Amino acid sequence: MAEIARRRQFGVNATGGRIGHLLDSEKVFGYVLVAPAIIYILLLVAYPFAIAIWFTMSNATVARPIGDFTGLDNLRAVLDDDIFRRALLNTFIFTLVSQALQMFFGTFLAFLLLRKFRGRRIARALIMLPFTIPVAIGAMAWTWMLNPTYSVINWIGEHAGFFAEGPNWLGEEIPAMISIILVNVWRNLPFSAIVLTAGISSVPSEILEAADLDGANWWVRWNKIMVPIIAPVLYIALLFSLVFTATDMTVVWLMTRGNPVNATHVIASYAFQTGVVAGSLGRGATMSLFLFPVLLVAALLFLRNIKGRSVD
Amino acid sequence: MLGTQVHHSTAYRLRRLRGSVLFWGTLALYLIFACFPVYWMFVTTFKQVNDLYNLSNNPLLFHLAPTLEQVRYLFERTNFTTWVANTAEVGLAVVAITVLICVPAAYVLSRTKFPGSGTLGIGIFLTYLVPPTLLFLPLSQLVVGLGLVNSKWALALVYPTFTIPFCTWLLMGFFKGVPREITEAARVDGCSRLGAMFRIVLPISVPGVLTIVIFAFTLAMQEYVYALTFVSSSDQKMITLGVVTDLIRGDVFFWGSLMAGALIVSVPVAIVYNMFMDTFVRGITGGALK
Repeated sequence: MAEIARRRQFGVNATGGRIGHLLDSEKVFGYVLVAPAIIYILLLVAYPFAIAIWFTMSNATVARPIGDFTGLDNLRAVLDDDIFRRALLNTFIFTLVSQALQMFFGTFLAFLLLRKFRGRRIARALIMLPFTIPVAIGAMAWTWMLNPTYSVINWIGEHAGFFAEGPNWLGEEIPAMISIILVNVWRNLPFSAIVLTAGISSVPSEILEAADLDGANWWVRWNKIMVPIIAPVLYIALLFSLVFTATDMTVVWLMTRGNPVNATHVIASYAFQTGVVAGSLGRGATMSLFLFPVLLVAALLFLRNIKGRSVD
Repeated sequence: MLGTQVHHSTAYRLRRLRGSVLFWGTLALYLIFACFPVYWMFVTTFKQVNDLYNLSNNPLLFHLAPTLEQVRYLFERTNFTTWVANTAEVGLAVVAITVLICVPAAYVLSRTKFPGSGTLGIGIFLTYLVPPTLLFLPLSQLVVGLGLVNSKWALALVYPTFTIPFCTWLLMGFFKGVPREITEAARVDGCSRLGAMFRIVLPISVPGVLTIVIFAFTLAMQEYVYALTFVSSSDQKMITLGVVTDLIRGDVFFWGSLMAGALIVSVPVAIVYNMFMDTFVRGITGGALK
């Protein structure tokens, strides 16, 4: 009786009971419930990834998407392409410079945010603002601010006496590169700051006080105590930041479209230009996969480092 | 009169003053840098065209009365309302797919142990690291094969590639927070595993599920790369792509309406992300932060 009552209570009928019984094996239950996610990822991430690898070794175009096997022809052609080489260099410059600036100013900002002051919540919300706005929208706002004729930055610069006549920010090579880095930093700095804030505030204050009593200066406290403790968080944040900055095309595509004269392309934007706009799937895929081995190794190293630390 | 003590405290006060001037000064400088683009969007949106493009005016201020002209242009003369509708439709489809796939996956990955569960969890996390620029070419061919060329539904199909990993990891955190004893007690009472999930854990985890609904929607809403690759007709665009591409005709940028659209997209997303910032960061750092 009690069994029936319970069955009714949980709404299990005869067949449901059978399936329910099968599902009561922890193994079956686990595999069945995780299956949709795995199938989706296999179909829409792993399978396309395999196609991308095929593209790199074929002369596929939008008109002939299967193409013929051409071996390393694409790789050779891409490495011979001056614009690609410039894009590769730019990708490293943009990523490393923005990353370094973000880490430096992010730490600085994190310490500002850790202080208790009036209006801290509002300040925090405003500090986060660039990160909470869609990338494409932020890039567009900056494009308008750096407009050759109506640049408000130049207006301010000229009226404050920083320069007599502002540069054509997005139309000249060096100013355009500075602009792209600036927008990357503008957008991602809040993320670094908030991750660092969370990390630093998780460091037990007793340890810091003890170190203080032992006469450790701020550099020692930072370098020998805080950094090792917050390292796992730092590494994950750095990994994400690195991967997304190195592979992003949004900022470049919206602000300069790789110009002037293809000097500001990054790998991702040039791959888009080649693969989507010009329709050369083979070349485009070769470019977009070019950084994959580097990023994979970086990711594995980061993750191993984190794992090693969490065991300690 | 000038005793050492007074002298001392003046120096101390000076030092404190210098400290706080330095603090507020740096904070103010950074806030200007961070917020100026948004102020600029705001000013551009509400300025009259004669004011906006008059180079002899101070661009930071209004010289003619503020106007809704640009906003009206956006709503009446562009496909803006269609983009909003497309965003709602595609966003909801992405949310539905994400929730249906993530809830069961996150549940078993966080609350049961089976061979390979740990590897699968990390595998799903790592797919979040696969950037759109790696997959847009093969996916564009997949979209062609499925007959979804230039259709917003291609986006609904593809966006879960990044919402699923992100949301699964977020949800795993929520599910781990539900004490094991509760489900164990239900199991002893004869409740099936599935029953325990639906009747016990899910009702407690409603806030977690709502959080992933919000993230899946906003992540889909602000995506740019896939949207640019798969959709070219104006009537199929979602809001972010529409605003940044359709208000440029040839070489002419409709800056007033463009910034009006930018402002309308940014405000809700910014509010949501500010409310859920800590959760968002937890989702990205994948539990390394606790």
